[in-house]
Amino acid sequence: MEIRKLLFVTKFEELCYDALNSLLALRGAALEHVVFLNVIERDKVAMKRGSGYLKEEEVKLKETANIRFIDWAENLFELGLEVGAYMEVSLLIPEILRVIEKESPDLIVIGRSHKGALEQLYAGSDVMELVRRTDVPILVFKHMIDDNIVPEKLFERPLFATNWSKTDQKAIEYIKGLKEVIGEIHIMHVVKDSALKSSDTHEVQKVRKVERKKLDTLCDELEDAGLNARPHVYVGDPQKEIEKAAKEYQASMIILGSSEKAAIIERWTGSISKNIADKSIFPCLLIPGKKDI
Amino acid sequence: MSKKVLVVDDDPDVRSFVVTVLEENQYIPLVAQDGVEGLEMIEKEQPDLVILDVLMPRGSGIRLYRKLRTDENLKHIPIIMFTGIALRSFLKSQKVLDEFKGGEVPEPDIYLEKPVEPEELAAAVKKKLG
Repeated sequence: MEIRKLLFVTKFEELCYDALNSLLALRGAALEHVVFLNVIERDKVAMKRGSGYLKEEEVKLKETANIRFIDWAENLFELGLEVGAYMEVSLLIPEILRVIEKESPDLIVIGRSHKGALEQLYAGSDVMELVRRTDVPILVFKHMIDDNIVPEKLFERPLFATNWSKTDQKAIEYIKGLKEVIGEIHIMHVVKDSALKSSDTHEVQKVRKVERKKLDTLCDELEDAGLNARPHVYVGDPQKEIEKAAKEYQASMIILGSSEKAAIIERWTGSISKNIADKSIFPCLLIPGKKDI
Repeated sequence: MSKKVLVVDDDPDVRSFVVTVLEENQYIPLVAQDGVEGLEMIEKEQPDLVILDVLMPRGSGIRLYRKLRTDENLKHIPIIMFTGIALRSFLKSQKVLDEFKGGEVPEPDIYLEKPVEPEELAAAVKKKLG
C-alpha cells in the first residue's frame, strides 16, 4: 500500500512545520498530496453571556491559520507536492472524519491527545476514538525529547510490535509500502509472563524458539519485499517491553496494529496501543483493524 | 451577450467578493468551491474566463491550472490566478512539475495576489474579456 495522500491535523501547538518536514521522506513512498486541517474548538468562539457568538474571533483564528498554511503550502508546492487546507470551527474527531470522507487520505498525522486523565476516562482519548472510527492508519507524532527536537528520520528505524493478530497482517502490508523510506525495521513479539506456564527453563526456551521462528518467517517475508528486518523476542509486560525495545534499538517510531475490540473496557483499563500512543516518548503509527468486530 | 466567469475558491467570503465585482461589471458569475468541482463546472459550462485560487481542498489550483493549460479542449479558456500563494512559489512549483511530469506549462497571463481592490480585479477581468 502506498502513501499518496497525507492528512496533517494541527492546532499549531505540537505539530508545526518541523514535524511536517520530517514526514517529507514519504515522497520516497509515493507521497504527492498533503492536506492540512486546523480545527478551531467551538468553545473558543462559542456564545458567551453578553457577547454572543464571537464571529470576529472566528475570523481572526481562521485567518491566522490560513496565513500559517499559506506559508507551509508555498514550501510544499515548491517541492512539487499538491496541497489542500481546511480551517473549521468544529469538534475535532467529527471534523477529521468529514475530511477523511472528502479526501481519502492514506495516513493521518496527529499530535498526542491533550485531554486530561479524567476527561479521557469518560470521553476516551482523541487518538483512540479516531482509531475506532476510521480504517486509515494514524501517526501519533511526538517530539521525542523534552527540548522539542523533531526526529529527523522518522522512518529510518521503526519498531513493529506484533501479537500475530489479523490487524497485524494489515500493518505488514502497510510496512511493505514504506520500503523505500525505511532503513531497517525491528520486529518484536512480547511473550506475556502469563503465557509461560512452566518455570522450567526448557519450556521457557521452547516458547521463545516458537515465537522466534515465526518472527524469522515474517522477517524473511519483509526482506523478500525489499526491507531490512531484524527479529526480537521479549518476555514480560507488553507495554513496558515494547518501550524498552524501542529504547534499546533507538527506534525512530513504534508501529502497532490496533483493534477496536472491547473499546469500552479499553477506556477503563487502557490498551497497549492506547497507552503507547498517549504516553510513550516515541512517535507511534497505529494501524486500525477492520470495523466489523 | 454577457460572458460567463467561473470563480474557483474555497473561501465563501472571497467567492462573494468576486461574484459582486463580476455582477457589477455585467458578467455572469459561476462558482465552484474546490478544484474537483471547478473542473466539473468548466467541462459543463465552458466559461469564458476562470478566476482560480491555488490552496484549496480536493484538488488544488496548481493541478487544475495544469489541466486547463494542457487539455486540448480547455486550453483556450483564459485564467486569472487569484490567490494568497506568492507568484514565486507558484512558478517554482510549475517548474518542478514540468520536470517530474514532462512538458512545459506556460505561465499564467494574470496573477493577482490577495487581497486586491475591486477595481484591480475588474480591470484584470476586462483585460481578458473586454
